[in-house]
Amino acid sequence: MAKLHIEPKQSEEGEDGAEFQVVEDEGILAWDADSELLVVGQSYPRLEGREKVTGRARYSSDVRLPGQLYARVLRSPYPHARIRNIDITKAEQSPGVHAVICAANVPRIAWYEESVLFDATVRLVGDEIAAVAAESDELAQDALRLIEVDYESLPFVTTIEEALRPDAPKVHDGGNIAGEPTTYERGDPESGLHEADVVVTGDFETPCALHNAFESHGCTASWEGDSLTLWDSTQAIFVVRQQVAEKLKMPEHRVRVIKQHMGGGFGAKQIPWKHDVIAALLSKQAGRPVQLLLDREAENMAAGNRNPTRQHVQLGAKRDGTLTAIVARIEQSAGAYRTGGEASNVSGTYQTLYRCPNVRTEQTAVYTNTGPAVAFRAPGHVEAAFALEQAMDELARALDLDPVALRRRNYAEVDQLEDKPFTLPEGLRLSYDRVTETFGWGERTAQPADSVKRRGVGFAAHDWSGGTGHPPGYAWIELNSDGTADVVTGTQDIGTGARTGLAQVAAEELGLPLANIAFQLGDTATGPYSPVSSGSATQATIGPALRAAAADVKAQLLEVASVVLEIGVGRLSVRDGRVLVDGDTERAIAVGEVMQKIAPHTLQARGARAPNPADMTIRTFGAQCVELEVDTETGEITVLRIVTAHDCGRIINPALVDSQVVGGVTQGVGFALSEERIVDTRLGIVLNANLEEYHVPTVADVPVIEHARVGVPDSAANSTGAKGIGEPPLIPTAPAIANAVFDAIGIRFRAGPLTRQRVLAALAARETNGSGEADS
Amino acid sequence: MGPHTHLPVTLSVNGSRFPLLIEPRRTLLDALRHDLALTGTKKVCDAGDCGACTVIVDGRAVYACLLLAVDCDDRDITTIEGLAKGNALDPVQEAFIQHDAFQCGFCTSGQIMSLRALLDANPEPSDDQILRAVTGNLCRCGAYLNILKAGRLAADMQRQAAADV
Amino acid sequence: MKPFDFARPDTIAAAVALLDGRDASRPNRSALLAGGTDLLTLMKADLYAPELLIDIKRLAELDNRIEETAEGLTIGALVTLSQLEDDPRIQSLVPALAEAAALAATPQLRHMATIGGNLLQRPRCWYFRKPGIHCWLKGGDDCPARQGENQLHALFDVSPCVAVHPSDPATALLALAASVRLRGAAGERELPLAAFFAPPTDERRQETVIGNDELIVSIQIPAAAPGTRSTYLKAMNRKVWAFALAGVAAAIHMDGNRIAQARLALGGVAPVPWRAESAEQVLTGAEPSPEIIARAAESALASAEPLAHNGYKIPLAKALVRRALTRLTAPAFPGA
Repeated sequence: MAKLHIEPKQSEEGEDGAEFQVVEDEGILAWDADSELLVVGQSYPRLEGREKVTGRARYSSDVRLPGQLYARVLRSPYPHARIRNIDITKAEQSPGVHAVICAANVPRIAWYEESVLFDATVRLVGDEIAAVAAESDELAQDALRLIEVDYESLPFVTTIEEALRPDAPKVHDGGNIAGEPTTYERGDPESGLHEADVVVTGDFETPCALHNAFESHGCTASWEGDSLTLWDSTQAIFVVRQQVAEKLKMPEHRVRVIKQHMGGGFGAKQIPWKHDVIAALLSKQAGRPVQLLLDREAENMAAGNRNPTRQHVQLGAKRDGTLTAIVARIEQSAGAYRTGGEASNVSGTYQTLYRCPNVRTEQTAVYTNTGPAVAFRAPGHVEAAFALEQAMDELARALDLDPVALRRRNYAEVDQLEDKPFTLPEGLRLSYDRVTETFGWGERTAQPADSVKRRGVGFAAHDWSGGTGHPPGYAWIELNSDGTADVVTGTQDIGTGARTGLAQVAAEELGLPLANIAFQLGDTATGPYSPVSSGSATQATIGPALRAAAADVKAQLLEVASVVLEIGVGRLSVRDGRVLVDGDTERAIAVGEVMQKIAPHTLQARGARAPNPADMTIRTFGAQCVELEVDTETGEITVLRIVTAHDCGRIINPALVDSQVVGGVTQGVGFALSEERIVDTRLGIVLNANLEEYHVPTVADVPVIEHARVGVPDSAANSTGAKGIGEPPLIPTAPAIANAVFDAIGIRFRAGPLTRQRVLAALAARETNGSGEADS
Repeated sequence: MGPHTHLPVTLSVNGSRFPLLIEPRRTLLDALRHDLALTGTKKVCDAGDCGACTVIVDGRAVYACLLLAVDCDDRDITTIEGLAKGNALDPVQEAFIQHDAFQCGFCTSGQIMSLRALLDANPEPSDDQILRAVTGNLCRCGAYLNILKAGRLAADMQRQAAADV
Repeated sequence: MKPFDFARPDTIAAAVALLDGRDASRPNRSALLAGGTDLLTLMKADLYAPELLIDIKRLAELDNRIEETAEGLTIGALVTLSQLEDDPRIQSLVPALAEAAALAATPQLRHMATIGGNLLQRPRCWYFRKPGIHCWLKGGDDCPARQGENQLHALFDVSPCVAVHPSDPATALLALAASVRLRGAAGERELPLAAFFAPPTDERRQETVIGNDELIVSIQIPAAAPGTRSTYLKAMNRKVWAFALAGVAAAIHMDGNRIAQARLALGGVAPVPWRAESAEQVLTGAEPSPEIIARAAESALASAEPLAHNGYKIPLAKALVRRALTRLTAPAFPGA
C-alpha cells in the first residue's frame, strides 16, 4: 500500500485551492538508462487506430441519443453593448423548438472571473446571449433568427494600444488592466545593461493565433432524473464535472462527464466553457438530450485564442557573449474575460532559458472587446520565444558570434528562479548537440543560381515549465483470472497518443504484452480522479501512478506464484506474460496459468502519482534549426528543412513522440508564416473567424521535418523517466524561421506572421530607405 | 410548396439504398450524420474550407458539406464506413495505422477518402499526385508527413494485392 | 440556411422560366444551383436566401463537354474545373486555363465547381462575407474595406466596392479572349468576357452584367494563331488552397523573334478580372528582352492606386507579369 501522509501545501505545483497536500509516495524506483524494458520504448501503433481509420471512433459530436435535440447559441453582433431587452416569444413558437433560454429564465450563474452566464453587458462579438434547442440544427437556426434583442451599443477597444490609453472605453468597470501586473527582478538589470559591451533592443509583436481544433467545442447533455451526463469535448473531464456541479448547484456524483476521443484541443479545451451549462440547462428545460456544438465562426470568435503580445526586449552582453542583462516589458491582450487555466506566462522564458544575473520582466494583461484568450500549446513561451530568440540572434550577429555558441556560453546549469539544480541539467546541451549535428549547423548554405531566391538558416532554443507532470493522479488495475489486465484511469487522450503511451507503461511494469492490456480513460463515472490534460502533463502524471498500481498488482501476483510454484518470491519476476524463476528457466509459467489457480479471484491495486522532487526543478528543453528560401520578388517563403531536438526524458513510444514533434513544428510553421486573427478595429469584428482566411498550413506548406531524438531518461523527474512532449516542439519554430529569414535577406521581422504582405512591404521599404528593419 | 416542404430522396451509400424524406436545405453531410447516423464523416468548417467531410460521390472525392442531399438522389456515395470489407481494412486505412498518419483523428476520414479516390482513379500515383490528392484536406494536428507516407504505402499495398490475385 | 423549395427542370427554357419569375419586390425568389460551392456558402451565411433553388446540374441540354472546332473551343457551362485541369486539349491549346483551374481551390472543389458557376461566384471579401456587415455591395452605404483591413483588396479603383474577383479561370479566360454565351427569356446572346464582367455600380451591385433571367450556356475560346503560348501564375498566402493575392494570365503569339500579339490579364487586383491593355501595347511588335518585359510589368500596374494595406500587391503582380512573360518568350519554351 502507498505511504500516505498529509502536509501543509508547499508549492504551487499541481492544482490550486487546497491548503494541504496529500503525499503518496509508493517508493517506486525509477527506471534508469540501464533498465531493460520490453514494451516501453517500442513504436506500437495507437490503440485506437482502428476506430479512427474506420470512422467508428465516437467523438462528443457523434453522440446520438433517442429524442436528441440540437442547440444553437445567439451571440452578440456588437463588441460592447448593454442588452435592454430580449424577446424570445417568437423563437419559442418556432417549429420544432423545445427550449429557449436567456438571462430571464435561467439562474444567475457566475462565469469567468468577471461575468455571468448570460450577462446583461456583452463584451465581444460572439458573447452568448440566448440559446435554442430544436429537433434539428436547421430548425434551431430558424428559431435563433426570431429572437429579438434590443441593444444599446457602447464604445469599445480591440487592441492593446487602445486599451491602455488613459481615456479608453472600459471593458469592465474596474478598467482595462486584467489582474495584477507581475514584475520579476533579480540582480540589477540597469547595471547589467550599463556594464554590457553590446546592448540589443527590440520591440516585438506576436499575433493572435486561433487554435482551430478540428472538433469544435461542444457537448451532448442528457438528464436521467437528477443525474446529468455530459459527453464533452474537453481536456479535463473532472474539472468539467466539478465546475458544472458547482454552477448548477449539484453534488459531483450526480454529474458524469465522458470523453473517449477528441478532435484536438491544443489548450482551448482545458477549462469548462459556457456550452456545458447551456446544454445542460436546455436539456433540463426540454426534457430531452441536447447536443450543442459551436460552429467554426463561434469557435474562432469566442472559444479561446493565443493572446497577442507586445514585447519590448533589451539584452546586454560582454564582448565574449556573456549576458549581463535581460529586460522585457510585456503587454498581452486577455480579450474580454480571464478564463483561467494554464497561464500565458510570457515572462517565464526570459527568466530561465539563459544564465544571467540581472533580469527584469514586467508583464501586464489588458482587457479588450475581443474573444477571451486561453492557453494554446506552450502558452506564453511561444510568444516570448519569438522575441527572445530573435533578440539572441541579433546579439550573436552584433558580437560576431555563432548563434549556437552564444547560447552555449550562457548555458543555465541551474534553475535560477529557485536556485535549484535541474533534474537533467544536460537536457538543453544534448538538444543543442543533437540538432546541430543532425542539421549540419555551421556548414555554408549553398545559394541557388537564381539570385532572386536567397537561402538562409536559423536557430532557436527553448525551455518549458510544462512536461513535468505532478500529483494528484491515480490508476486502478485489475489482473483478471486469465492473466489479462484491465487498466483504468480517469485521464484524457486529446489526440496525443496518451492512451497508448500510458498502456505501455502499465504493460511494462505488469510484465504483460501490450495486447493483454485493456486501457480505460475518459469517464468520471468509471475511473479515478485525473487532472486536466494540459501542460504536457498526462504521460508524466499518470505514467508513474500506473507504475505504482502495476507494481502492487505484480507483487501480489508474485506472492500467488510463490505459493503455486513453492519458490521464494525473491527468485520470481514477471516478463512478457510469464512468471520467471531465477536460475531455472524450465519452471517459467504463464501469468494466466498462475491466475487460473486462484480463479475467479482477481488481483487489484491502485496507484498514485508521487510528488515531484522538492530539491530539484524539472524542465523540458529543446532546439531547432531551419533552412528556408525567400523569393525576394514575390515575398514567398519556402521552408525547406527543419531539424528539431527535445529533451522529453525517456521516449515511451518513438513513433508517437515523433508525431507530436512533427505536429508541433507544423503548427509552428503556421504561427510563423500565415496564422493571424484579423480584427477590424472600427467594427470590433473578427474578419477571418474561419478556415478560409485564417490560414493553417496545408500539406504543401510543410517542409521536411526531422526529429533528432535525445531520449535520455530523466530518472530524477519521476519513476518512468519520461516527460511531456506535446507543447515544446512548437516553441522555437517561429523564431528559428524568422532568424533564417534574416540570414537569407538581412531583414529582421519583429512582428509576425511573415506573410507576403509583411515580407514585400519590408523589401520595398529597404529599397526606399535601405533599412533592414520591418515594420509591423 | 411551403417553406418546410420535405422531398423524397434515395441516398445510395456504401452499397445500400436509403429512402429519405428531407428538407431541401439539408446537406449531404448532415443527412449522413443525422438521418443515417454515419458519423464517421466529420463536420469541421461546414464551408468547404477544411476537407474533413470528404466523401466519394460517383467516383470523385467531394465535400459533403457543399452538396445538398436532394442533389445526391441516386448518386453512388461512399463514406469512410464503406471502405473496410468486413474485418479487413482498406489498404489506405491499414497504411494510416502503420504510419501513425493521424493524431486526433478528426480529419482522418476525409484524408483517407481523398486517397481512396486517388487510388481508384490512379493505382500507380507519383509522390506528387499523392500530395496533390490531399491538398484539399487540412490536418490541424500536423500529421501531413505521415499521411504522405501512408499514401505511398497504401499504393504499394494495393499494387501488391493486385499482383497476388 | 433558410428554407427553400427545390426544382429540377428538364429544359433550359423551363429553368429560365423559373428564373423569369423574379421581380424587384422579391429579389431573392430563385437561384440556379450547379456546383453549389459558392452558392451554398452564401446561403449558409444567410447572405443569400432564395425561395427556390433551380437545379441545373442534370439538365441534359446544358453541356458538360469540351468541344474543339475550327473556331476554337466551346466549354459547356457545366464543365468542372477538374475537367479543365485534366483535358489534353485545354492543356495543349490553352494551357493558361488548365493551369488556372489546377491552381484554384482543391481537388474536391474542382470536382464539384462548374466553370459557369466559377465565373458567377461572388467576392470573398471578408466584409462582404460577414453576415453582420451591411457593406455597399450588399446594398449598404459604403465599403468598409476602403478604410479597413484591405490587404486582400483591389489595386484598381473602379467601383465603390474594392473587393477583388476571386476566380483564377476567369483571369485566364480574359487573356484568352473568351466570350460567354448566355440564354434568357429573350433568347441567346454572346458577350466577350471583357464586357460580361463589369465593376459593380450603384445600379448593379454585382460583378457581371448577366440578367436576372439569364444563365450561362457555354464559354467560347476563339482559336488562337498557331504557336500561341499562354500561362497562368498565382501568388497565395499558402502554397495551395487560397485565393489569389495576385494572379497573372498571359497569352503571347510570337512572329519570329518579335511578339506579334500579346494579351495580359491580372486577377486579385480589381473587382473584375483586369485586362492590362497598356502592357499589351508595350509588348506588341517588340522583341522580347528583360527591359521590354520590365516595361510591360510597370505599365500593367501603372494606374494602380493602392489602399493602406495592399501596396505589396504591386511589386508582387509586377513580378508575376515578368515571370509569365519571360516564360512565354523564352526560346526554349516547351512545345515552341
